This record gives sequence, C-alpha cells and structure tokens, in this order.
Amino acid sequence: MEYVSPEGLRLDGRRPMEMRQIRAEIGAVAKADGSAVFEMGNTKVIAAVYGPREVQNRSQQLSDQALVRCEYSMANFSTGDRMRRPKGDRRSTEISLVIRQTMEACILTHLMPRSQIDIFLQVLQADGGTRSACINAATLALADAGIPMRDLVTSCSAGYLNSTPLLDLNYVEDSAGGPDVTVGILPKLDKVTLLQMDAKLPMDIFENVMQLAMEGCKAVANYIREVLLENTKTLEYRRGV
Amino acid sequence: MHQGSVTCVSWIRRLKNAHLLVVGGEEELVTPGEVLGKASDVKPGRGAYVSPHDNTVYASLTGRRSIVPPSPDSSDQRPTVEVTGHKAHGAVPEPGSVVIARVTKVMARMASADIMCVGPKSVREKFTGIIRQQDVRATEIDKVDMHSSFHPGDIVKALVLSLGDARAYYLSTAKNELGVVSAESSSRCNNGPNQLDRDAVSS
Repeated sequence: MEYVSPEGLRLDGRRPMEMRQIRAEIGAVAKADGSAVFEMGNTKVIAAVYGPREVQNRSQQLSDQALVRCEYSMANFSTGDRMRRPKGDRRSTEISLVIRQTMEACILTHLMPRSQIDIFLQVLQADGGTRSACINAATLALADAGIPMRDLVTSCSAGYLNSTPLLDLNYVEDSAGGPDVTVGILPKLDKVTLLQMDAKLPMDIFENVMQLAMEGCKAVANYIREVLLENTKTLEYRRGV
Repeated sequence: MHQGSVTCVSWIRRLKNAHLLVVGGEEELVTPGEVLGKASDVKPGRGAYVSPHDNTVYASLTGRRSIVPPSPDSSDQRPTVEVTGHKAHGAVPEPGSVVIARVTKVMARMASADIMCVGPKSVREKFTGIIRQQDVRATEIDKVDMHSSFHPGDIVKALVLSLGDARAYYLSTAKNELGVVSAESSSRCNNGPNQLDRDAVSS
C-alpha cells in the first residue's frame, strides 16, 4: 500500500514533515486542580490532575518526595469498534507506567513530600499518537494546577514508511506495521525523557526519524507555551489585575 | 554616522533592559522551563529553581516574574526572582498558627478534632489534630477532665504546637484567647450557643 504518493503527499494530504493540527484547551474539568483537553488531528485526549493532596494509601507514602500516580484509559467509544474493557488491559497499564515515569522526571517532587499527585488521562477519540497527546495534555493540566515542574514535557511520534520519515503518524499509518518512534523531551532544557520505538530501524535512519520527532516536540512546546500565556492573561483580566 | 547611532540605540536599550531586570521588571509572564537568570546573579525564590548542571535559574510555574531586592543586612546580596502563579493552593497548618477545628472524638486523655480553618483561610481538605490532656489549659493540667472540657461537635480555636505524628497535628488550647468558641447545649433548646458549661471556654 502506498503511504506517500509520488507527489509527496500522505493519505490525509499532509507532507511528510507536516504535523496534524493541534488544539488545546485549559480548565475543562472544573472540579480538578488542573485539567486540559488536547487534540492532535482527530486524536482527542482529556487530562485531569488532582494534587498535591494527602496520600490515600499510607503505606505508599514517600517521606522525601511526592507520589505521582497516573492512569490512562480509553473511552469505550474512542475507536471504531466499541471496546469492552478499556481499563486494566496490558496496553493501558504499560502506557500508564510510561507516562508516569515521564511526568515524574519533570515534576519537582522534592518540594511536596508526603503528598500525592494524580494524573488521569482519558482518550475520547483515538486516531494514532494517543501516547503523545496524553503527555501533552498532562503537561498542560499540571501547569494549570500550578504544580512546579522543571520544564514542559512535550511529545510527538514519527515513523518511516515508503523510505520517507513521516512526522505525527495517524492510525492508518501506525497500523501499517512500520517503525513508530515516540519521543518526549524537555524542550528548553533539551533533554529526552521518553524514547520508545516498535519494529526495527537502521541506526542512521533512526537518527533522522528521532530528530524529526524532536522538531515536532519543539513545535508542540511553542504552541503549549502560547496557550498557557493566553490562559494566564485571561485569568488576570477576569481578576481585574 | 548611521553605525554610531545604531550602537547608541542598542546600548540604551540594553541599559533599560538591565535596569528592568534588576530593579523590578514585573511585566513578564513566564512558563515552566524559561530562563530567569544566572545563579551567580539571582537567587531562586518561589516558583523558580536552580539547575546544578549549568548554574541557571529556571521558572517552575506559569505566572508573573517578579524580582525581590535583597535585604540590606544579608550577606548574600543577590536579588531573589519569584514566579507567582494564579492557582491558590489550600492552606496548610504550620506550627505556631492559630486554627479553628471541630471536635470529633473525646477520650480519657485526649480529644480529636478536624482542622477546618488556618488563620482566616479555610482548608481545601481537612486535617486531623489532637488536643492532649496536658495541653487543654495552663494551670492544674493533671486535673483536667476531658469530657467536661470538650464535647463532640464543639468548635475550638487552638494553636498548632507541632506537626505531631503521622496521624495528627498536636494542638493546644492553653491560652486565654483559645478554647471552645461555639457549642451546642446539652438541653438542645433553641437559645443558641449560649448555654455553655464547658471548662475550656475561651474568654
């Protein structure tokens, strides 16, 4: 199957180095301490952050830092076929663990000992790149909750089909069976916090694909920063500052 | 001539920016990860942290950057840079703060209370505190009868002695202005909270 046409267009009309349209909204869940909705093309994810609050399970309390918990689940209606067990299956557990480790690396947990930060991620519409959309949504929700972080964590995926590195794969391109590299970075500090890949790639091509994903992450970071600044200005205006 | 005027303008702009940075340029909104200065020039305050690898101060919250000048008598003359976010976190009891709590359980040697306000601010999630027999009043502390001092449901003004153990803060009502401020009478008539026969009533 042809994923990149001879003119250089992908199945949805994008160029190989073009990301899907991103859209973010802060404060969707009023009861949560921080929340955000993040869309990357057709993939739509909602994140809610509760914390820092008292640890519910005393045995897991850490005396010198905050406990970060993360739960990823897909809504029944998020994919084409209605799912029966969207939570607790192996893929969800693995993604929850991966996102928890990514966010924990960037939260300044030593400032909040003996407390707990909960990140809940729900995929409302899945069209490839749910992991990346979840990390971006979690970053926005944590920033909205006022939890101190080293930097924003942004994530983007890239693949390699028809001998072309492609940025931000959608579901059809993802199910093609080619390599899929997901990168999560701290953009201003230029550090990598997440790097995952399925399938195999020769080393030189891998470097190109990873570089492309990192460029995508930086573009997402610029957008997220704009959204945060816009949100802060709106809040200040409402408060009459 | 043109070259000279360009450098003159840029020099003035740099001077103005430096002035803003040092004296208190509060006009900037920052997001987490943005550089606020070098660790040799500024100290990190709330909402900022210093990265040991490159000795740079970065922001950790989204909000307004503000610069607090150093106090004249401190040895470290670097100004402190802070970032004030818009989310107000709930109040947390600190040792020495006056809290308002509701008594939940009264036992032979101590009373348990739920802390609801710290100073003038109410808390987001309630904290547990205990008032021990020796902390109820300042005089004759071994003759205190807990059941005549407190009753479940009483509102108490107390001072936080310490963070206590894992389960509760330690509170004290051993001062004139502390103690039970409101209670329901045991006869339950509708005269309001005036029929107090508690020993620990505040004056």
